[in-house]
Amino acid sequence: MNTQGTLLPAAVPLAAETVVRKQRPLFAIAFAMAVFSTAIALLANAFWLSALTSAMALSLSVAGVAVLYGQLGLVSLCQFALVGVGGWVTLRIGHGFQPPFEVSLLAGGVVAALIGLLFGVPALRLRGLYLALVTLMLAGAFQIVISAWGFPDGGPGFLGRADGVGRSMLARPALATEAIPYFLYCAFIATLGLILVQAHKITRPGRAWALIRKGETVAIASGVNVLAYKAWAFALSGFLAGIAGGLLAGNVGQLEGRAFSAFESLNLFALATVGGAFHWYGAVIAGLLLRALPALLTDLGIDGYVTIGIFGVALFHALATAPTGIAGKIANLLARFTKGGER
Amino acid sequence: MIEIETLSVRFGGIKPIDQLTAMLSAPVSGLIGPNGAGKTTLLNVLSGFVRPVEGAIKLDGRSLLALSPLQRVRAGLRRSFQTEQVVEDLTTRDNLAALADNVASVGERSRTTDRALEFVGLGSVAHRLGARLNLFERRLVELGKCLIGTPRLILLDEPAAGLTDEEGARLRDLVLAIPDAFGAQVVVIDHDVELIRAMCAETLVLDYGKRLALGNTETVLADPAVRRAYLGEL
Ligand SMILES: Nc1ncnc2c1ncn2[C@@H]1O[C@H](COP(=O)(O)OP(=O)(O)OP(=O)(O)O)[C@@H](O)[C@H]1O
Ligand SMILES: [Mg+2]
Repeated sequence: MNTQGTLLPAAVPLAAETVVRKQRPLFAIAFAMAVFSTAIALLANAFWLSALTSAMALSLSVAGVAVLYGQLGLVSLCQFALVGVGGWVTLRIGHGFQPPFEVSLLAGGVVAALIGLLFGVPALRLRGLYLALVTLMLAGAFQIVISAWGFPDGGPGFLGRADGVGRSMLARPALATEAIPYFLYCAFIATLGLILVQAHKITRPGRAWALIRKGETVAIASGVNVLAYKAWAFALSGFLAGIAGGLLAGNVGQLEGRAFSAFESLNLFALATVGGAFHWYGAVIAGLLLRALPALLTDLGIDGYVTIGIFGVALFHALATAPTGIAGKIANLLARFTKGGER
Repeated sequence: MIEIETLSVRFGGIKPIDQLTAMLSAPVSGLIGPNGAGKTTLLNVLSGFVRPVEGAIKLDGRSLLALSPLQRVRAGLRRSFQTEQVVEDLTTRDNLAALADNVASVGERSRTTDRALEFVGLGSVAHRLGARLNLFERRLVELGKCLIGTPRLILLDEPAAGLTDEEGARLRDLVLAIPDAFGAQVVVIDHDVELIRAMCAETLVLDYGKRLALGNTETVLADPAVRRAYLGEL
């Protein structure tokens, strides 16, 4: 019991203490992310800054996958496609109407949430391998569509393609046009996203998801509307992917259709498990693996394809011996230094 | 009060509930019978997870079969499972709160959760994770969950299975106190006849899905047919 607890009058029921206990992880996320991103902003050069900005953005999409996998045990292999959807909408709205960046970004998140919900419909009936296959096919379908359409770059019409001359870049948010401010901007939004997810986990949706995980019969017997809470998880996951896509679009000012193959979705899920789907920092670790590790290898002059090999080994390791991922190992380590284990 | 009328359930070729008619009105009623008699199936019908092929059920005069399982929970039906279903990575309190989220109004949730915690005596382990609870504590969590909100009918499927005599006695005292404290009717399945004798004023005995006996527990347990079919095999 902390000193704060003993200061409370004895008559205050368990609830008040619960609030204090529960908000602690939210502050921890804000604090850790602030320290981490400040250090990067002070130390990184332009090359690294760009890679780490992408890493921050992608950690959001990983956090989304981790909600589905960590909270509900659902394997969704179309998350990077939803990143693409968010990126496409952000670019389309940004070029089409030139609103503040945040408006385009939010539009990207909302549309990706809706598409994510749509992609999640099969999950209301399917699970396990079948869901994985169906979502992978959806990622494949997106790959085909986006290679044909490309991403909007200031051109006319619905698709907004300029082709060749007249291609324009999406403007970054007004308060973060330079590399360092934009990195901090992305880190800030990633932090908000991670807090949003964590807040879900420790409140009503998290409890409902836990019951669904335990078994749908138990969940229903506890009054949980299984369909609604599953749908909400898909929408939340899609929203985070969409925001990630919008932030990626803002990083370089445009996106390449080629970068959104179904393989990327597969890779994203694999690294989500390597990073750890059960702890908030697992998403950050996965984001770093996805973007900072390749950057490191490039920096060292090693061929980028080596990353695929490394990821393969890491995935094998995670599946074979560390189902809670790197984050799980860190959590175990931390638990040894704190007296607890109580939580 | 539960009124069951010519209720039948069919799973393929077998009829785990066969033309069952019974009325349970005691504050705490017992439901006993040999393995496979259809006790759990009857609970599943009451809670809506199994659809009967014929028959009707009324809870306090209101038809139950028209309601979905979720609607029944909201109407005050609570149940525990034969194998305990405590969520390992939620705390004791959150295991209870998970139910309060769905059946109590926003302002009530915290209060009803604390009341249930206190009633079953788990206040001291409120913040312990489900994974770290022992079997007795788990059974108490299951019982506590049944007390969240405004329970009207509580169905307990072998709540004392695996407990020591002492723990079983504590559970018995809690169950006996429920009708007065929460205004709910309780139906208990158990294989321990002594426990049933101590808890239940009235008992329904099932055998092959049929009603073998129903009435005052002492009378029922003394019934030669019951002794032959059920007690005899112990
Ligand atoms: N989902 C199901 N599908 C097919 N048969 C089932 C199903 N559930 C139960 N049964 C069968 O119905 C019969 C009654 O089972 P039930 O679980 O209701 O018995 P019980 O009285 O609770 O027994 P026990 O004391 O062992 O818990 C058994 O023959 C069982 O095998
Ligand atoms: Mg049974």
